[in-house]
Amino acid sequence: MTPDEYAGRCTRFLQAQPHMRKLGVELVDAEASRVTLRLPVNPELVSGGLETYLHGGVLTTLVDAASSVSTLCALEAFELCPTLDLRIDHMRIPSETRPVYVDAECYRITRSVLFTRASVYQDDKSRPVANAVATFMRPEGGAVVSDFQQLIEGGDDAATA
Amino acid sequence: MQQLLEMVKAAHASGDYQPLVDLIPYARMLGVECACYGEEVIFKLPANPDTIGNPTIPAIHGGVIAAFMELTAQFQLTLQMPQPGLAKVIDFSLDYMRAGLHRDTFAICTISRQGRRIGNCSVLAWQERKSRPIAQARAHFLLDASPIQESAT
Repeated sequence: MTPDEYAGRCTRFLQAQPHMRKLGVELVDAEASRVTLRLPVNPELVSGGLETYLHGGVLTTLVDAASSVSTLCALEAFELCPTLDLRIDHMRIPSETRPVYVDAECYRITRSVLFTRASVYQDDKSRPVANAVATFMRPEGGAVVSDFQQLIEGGDDAATA
Repeated sequence: MQQLLEMVKAAHASGDYQPLVDLIPYARMLGVECACYGEEVIFKLPANPDTIGNPTIPAIHGGVIAAFMELTAQFQLTLQMPQPGLAKVIDFSLDYMRAGLHRDTFAICTISRQGRRIGNCSVLAWQERKSRPIAQARAHFLLDASPIQESAT
């Protein structure tokens, strides 16, 4: 697949998820097995005085999303893979007034399980805010053809999905 | 911090912890509620179309479930901190057991060990029955309130 095809698949997948639209999560870059997503500064996530850091929970959501999107760039066809487990280590406090980036990579594919790792940062990749690893379960018998799969894969059939 | 101390005191006195929950923007966005039954605090994530991650089932976004559980732990520990300040998450590890369907989700946190600086806890999340959890998590939190702005860059 070309980077554009990966990007299309990932963008359609993000757009299909109401919570990703709510947070405004965007695709920055997609290539084989890797993606970068951005969480823009969101006034709804700014606490107004008491503390000036972004709540860790938002990062967990972002990491889960990016890890799952990275699996789209590692598989031949789109498969809806639920998360089995996710572990995130928080290394420093993110600022709520700057966008947050996450690089995720699906680094191992087996018949049943996908393994991913992700790194969250703001201005400087070498100063990560958080690191995470996750595993995903592949559907039994491989990709299932469905309206949702058609929608994510795009192409001519997408309009009717 | 004084403001937070006052709020924790007021919450302990009235048993209404909602103002504390609403302090966290993401908790407010998700609409997290909490109810106190004696020593037990049960948190609720009301069904909300904005939290859907998988539109086909439909199911709640896995990250939302994780964030909700993390919030549950953070509040449970914050309420028990010796000094005012929000407990800060160090690590969080989550096992998903079932899809979180588009309905109300509940969570409860058990503190396994609370030291002077570090708190260790586990969180259970369920929907219809507590005996059929949708996810379980364990986490460490930093309880030192002071250097909150320390490494903002």
